[in-house]
Amino acid sequence: MGKAEHAWRRGFSRRQAIAGLGSFLAASPLLHAQRDPWPLGSHRRFMGFDEIRDVFDFEPLFRANVPLSTYDYSAHGTESEFTLYRNRDAFDWVQLVGGGGVAPAAVDTSTELFGHAMPSPIMLAPTSRQRDLHPDGELGMYRAATTTATTMIVSNASSFPYTRIAEEADGPLWYQRYATRELDPNREALDAGQEAGAQTIVVTIDQQATLYERDLHVRHLGGRPREVTRRTRPNPPNPYRVGAGRLWYEWKLFDDLKPMCQVPMLAKGILTGEGAKKCLEHGVDGIIVSNHGGRSLDYGPSTLEVLEEVVDAVGDQIPVIIDSGFRRGTDVLKALALGADAVCLGRASRWGLGAFGEPGAQKVIEMINAELRQAMASVGAATLADINRTMVKTNFP
Amino acid sequence: MTVDRRESLRTFGAFVAGAAAPGQPTSSGGPQTGLLAPVLELVNATEFESMARLVLPPARYQTISGGHRRSFDKMTFRQRLMVYAMDLDLTTELFGYEMFAPIIVGPVANQGDLHADGELGTARGAAAAKAIMVATSESSHPIDQIVSASGEPVWSQVYAASGRAGDDAARAVAAGCKALCVTIGVSPDGAPIATNWDAVQQLTLAVNVPVVVKGIMSVGDARTALERGADGLVVSNHGGVVGGHSALPVDVLPAVADAVNGQVPILVDGSFRRGTDVLKGLALGATAVMVARPPMWGLAAYGAEGVQTVVEILQTELARNMAMSGRPTISMIDRELVRFDKW
Repeated sequence: MGKAEHAWRRGFSRRQAIAGLGSFLAASPLLHAQRDPWPLGSHRRFMGFDEIRDVFDFEPLFRANVPLSTYDYSAHGTESEFTLYRNRDAFDWVQLVGGGGVAPAAVDTSTELFGHAMPSPIMLAPTSRQRDLHPDGELGMYRAATTTATTMIVSNASSFPYTRIAEEADGPLWYQRYATRELDPNREALDAGQEAGAQTIVVTIDQQATLYERDLHVRHLGGRPREVTRRTRPNPPNPYRVGAGRLWYEWKLFDDLKPMCQVPMLAKGILTGEGAKKCLEHGVDGIIVSNHGGRSLDYGPSTLEVLEEVVDAVGDQIPVIIDSGFRRGTDVLKALALGADAVCLGRASRWGLGAFGEPGAQKVIEMINAELRQAMASVGAATLADINRTMVKTNFP
Repeated sequence: MTVDRRESLRTFGAFVAGAAAPGQPTSSGGPQTGLLAPVLELVNATEFESMARLVLPPARYQTISGGHRRSFDKMTFRQRLMVYAMDLDLTTELFGYEMFAPIIVGPVANQGDLHADGELGTARGAAAAKAIMVATSESSHPIDQIVSASGEPVWSQVYAASGRAGDDAARAVAAGCKALCVTIGVSPDGAPIATNWDAVQQLTLAVNVPVVVKGIMSVGDARTALERGADGLVVSNHGGVVGGHSALPVDVLPAVADAVNGQVPILVDGSFRRGTDVLKGLALGATAVMVARPPMWGLAAYGAEGVQTVVEILQTELARNMAMSGRPTISMIDRELVRFDKW
């Protein structure tokens, strides 16, 4: 037995114990690791707000700022995350060609959707629980959207009620809804949203069976693995342990919702021409091509590779909007050239809000808009109307 | 008495080094079961592989690890949206038996090396997940015990090249096996050999249960197997252990399915790890998919409960992705669901 144990046996004074603990801490390698080897101010561990050069720079700041469980929730995709990564791969399969001859300052990105003028075809996708990212949550996001005159789609699962968000600023808002099987709750929610000024209603129809099957999110849960009680899930709706919350989805849903919408009704989650034609049959006024940012059916296609098929199926009858993986102005331009009328930013906007709150979200929007103007100038498009299919070469697998 | 820094560090360090932290192995060598995650915390079948690695000797682990997933990454789904799926139903008929789900626990030899319960654990786990199991002629337990350990159908696998295949088959049928799986193209010790079709034919004539021929990797073999009386085919390269095939079973499945044209059921195996993989196999013409390594990972790490959990995870993933892709019943799964990358 060592000297210390003998000392404990013989009894010890408080002073001795404190001195021992203090001397241990003073020598701790943990403390040493915290010591800054460089003079203060001569370096930064994290990029400052003004140092950020593109939207990807926000991601590590977002990751550092939010709890790990929030990061895992936001970052990951379904199962093998094949579609999550394919969404980004797809931009490498499209080349921008042509041009020049236009000065970036002369580029005009303004457009119009459903009779509402928009200074840019870039919008904010509906994403849930933004207060997890920053205390301002959707209120900060909406202020940033209003500052940049960007249309924001408010999620059904927002941290603040839609009506509270709508009071916060005066920019254009759309309202996204996951329909319930009972029609009355839909009517109440849609009435409240439209009364508060929603310009359109967006009905999300993907994630019919996949809700929380993001393996990496479920595995981490912020470092606290949860028992995945597949077998003990209460009252299994089917013997295969699949959540039944949305298994009832049918196209008829749009026939039921249409009379509740005094504003245009959009379907979000379309990935085929066949699906787009169904939308037309059921009175849908606009389509969002989306795989939910790789969070719906895994091993589905990227949205960019199916965009033309959807656009061809609807022709000029209704607008086609796209999301899932957009991070740069060139990404946006590629989608516009392939026929999209607008592009939604999901994770990109969450990175901005999570990293710096409202100014971060605003900067994300401004950066991608500036990049879009630059890219349009590079291919020789002064207006959105100038953008056409000849400005891209595609080599989708 | 003074306590100096050096001494306090040394004693604290000695305390940490001597501590028996919970969950750490206290003895060297042997299975490190203390490091295993609780079985219900594993979120997909592939996670069981690293658990198996913790408990198996490296050489044994080697025989049931790995896989080739490149073919699955060349296929994407074209989903059909808004298809009513409240009546989600994976049941499908095979040789007059209604399977709960089209996923079968495939044959693996000497499972006693993986877990003390061996094939009996696999039988109990597969039965708990309502899945058919294929027991090999190289089992660690007698076939009649395996059959009694299971409440679901057990099939028996024999090697066409083995001298005792006829005896093994007779014993298995007597023990209550519901089908016979005849492996071609490989000897019992894993060497590639030419198929003796006469031996295959003799086996099909010798037993009164359906005979499936396992190891089909070409349309020619499929046709010959049918001529020799096969009641079903398993498109398989024996888990890649034999070599000689650059293609994966799921690559040759569509051509075999076209050639067979529904005359007999076709099964397939080979690196199926996900519900999406199984869905692709079914879309390309398989009646059911055999999985072998994943349930063995479960067996090695957790015994019967591991087998059950792996199979249940695959069933749930398949069911979920069937609903997601607008094919809530097996008969609705069609080839249009799968799109192949051009490059």
